[in-house]
Amino acid sequence: MITYLYEKDLRRMKFNILTSTWHDLAVRQIARRLSIDLQRLRLIMIQRFDMSLLENLPARWEAGLRHADTNDPTARELGCELFSRFIPFVEPDEMQTICSETRAEIDNGTPEVQAIDAGKARIREVILS
Amino acid sequence: MKKTVDVSIPIGPVHPCWKEPIRIKCETAGERVRRAEVELGYMKKGIERIMRGRPWQEVMFLAERVCGICSVIHNMVFIEAMEAISGITVPPRAAYLRVIVNELDRIASHLIANFSYCYTIEHETLAMYLLNVREVVLDNLERITGSRINTAYMIPGGVRFDLSEEDAAALLADLATVEAEMRRYVKMFETGPLIGLRSRGIGILTQEAAIEAHAVGPTARASGIPECDQRLRHPTYRELGFAPVSRTEGDNFARVMVRFDEVFQSIGLIRACIDRLPDGPVRGGGDCGPGEIVYRGEAPRGELAYCIRSDEYGRILDISIRTPSIMNIEACSHYMVRDVTSLADVTSTFISADPCIACTER
Repeated sequence: MITYLYEKDLRRMKFNILTSTWHDLAVRQIARRLSIDLQRLRLIMIQRFDMSLLENLPARWEAGLRHADTNDPTARELGCELFSRFIPFVEPDEMQTICSETRAEIDNGTPEVQAIDAGKARIREVILS
Repeated sequence: MKKTVDVSIPIGPVHPCWKEPIRIKCETAGERVRRAEVELGYMKKGIERIMRGRPWQEVMFLAERVCGICSVIHNMVFIEAMEAISGITVPPRAAYLRVIVNELDRIASHLIANFSYCYTIEHETLAMYLLNVREVVLDNLERITGSRINTAYMIPGGVRFDLSEEDAAALLADLATVEAEMRRYVKMFETGPLIGLRSRGIGILTQEAAIEAHAVGPTARASGIPECDQRLRHPTYRELGFAPVSRTEGDNFARVMVRFDEVFQSIGLIRACIDRLPDGPVRGGGDCGPGEIVYRGEAPRGELAYCIRSDEYGRILDISIRTPSIMNIEACSHYMVRDVTSLADVTSTFISADPCIACTER
């Protein structure tokens, strides 16, 4: 088996980053918002994000809560920019599609709560896939 | 047919341009960098864990050992956080002395950051000039605090040493020398054609990207976000009428120039402090007590935040430190170096963000 000299297993260090005081608080808030199991979310983050992004996670989360989707209540509920630009779980194009389809559903008469719940479920599905 | 080769090129962990070890993996298409990924973990100190359970008298010394370059601000933010928890007031003279020492530290930090940048783009002459000026600044830090690097100058309720009139006069004289020399060096940087080629329009961080990555300090201010400066919210700086430096280009040149401009600004702030320095004691005393706080200050590299929980004896039960380099390194690796046209620009762009790995890994 070929092992590369500099290719280290970073999972342990990434886990340590995610479980420090500030990060743990942010990860728990994100898990609650997305209704995803905490351990599952940590695993997804460890797999998808590099160490610098993980270190910066609480700052990005705070920036996202302050600046993301300020003009559109539907997008704010779904976390369109929050989970595509600030915490990049979903590709921006994919998120845009989910967001516009949710808006279209609301315009077609689907109750807002129901449409947003469906949109959130789709976002969750993309994140977990 | 032209062949496009995608290669993952590692830069570091040991690299002549890096002051500290970090590894950046660059995914390239030819010379163009498509994306970069950062690997940390080469110098983890675990300082937060060491701090837990210790009395504040020990933690204040540990705090300034998070970073050797900007140690004063770690001392200042930790002590001001403990003062805020415990309701300790600082005598006005001590508050001004804190600003003087903090600004001297900022000048020293900005000079070494710009030294590193000039060194990275192979302008060693200017780099050495800047390092030479930094010595004068460090000498003045030593004159006031007794130490060049880890000064431990600030204590709850004041500062350790007063500033005598002779020392203040010597400081002002040295600042006049630093200012005159810096004007020459800034002109060299601004007008150097090769410097311009390596710096202008390279490693651009747009305002939107800076907001997304929560970039802070000169990195954010070079992208048009002046309000990120925590000094705007500090009572002593507000008394001094502080207004942040800002630019809009967002490239390597802008980041270095913001730091140069802030050196002059810091000199102005020190002069204003000495002008207005009130008479009175420099130590008010006070006991550190129980409480919990998130306290922010403006380090040379940007917003530094301490989240502290202490008990009735002033012991630190829990502490978490968010250093500015965490945000700026992330902004650099995911926005600034993305799509740079040459791999050679990765190192200079990275250094232009003034990354401190010791801070990041704390």
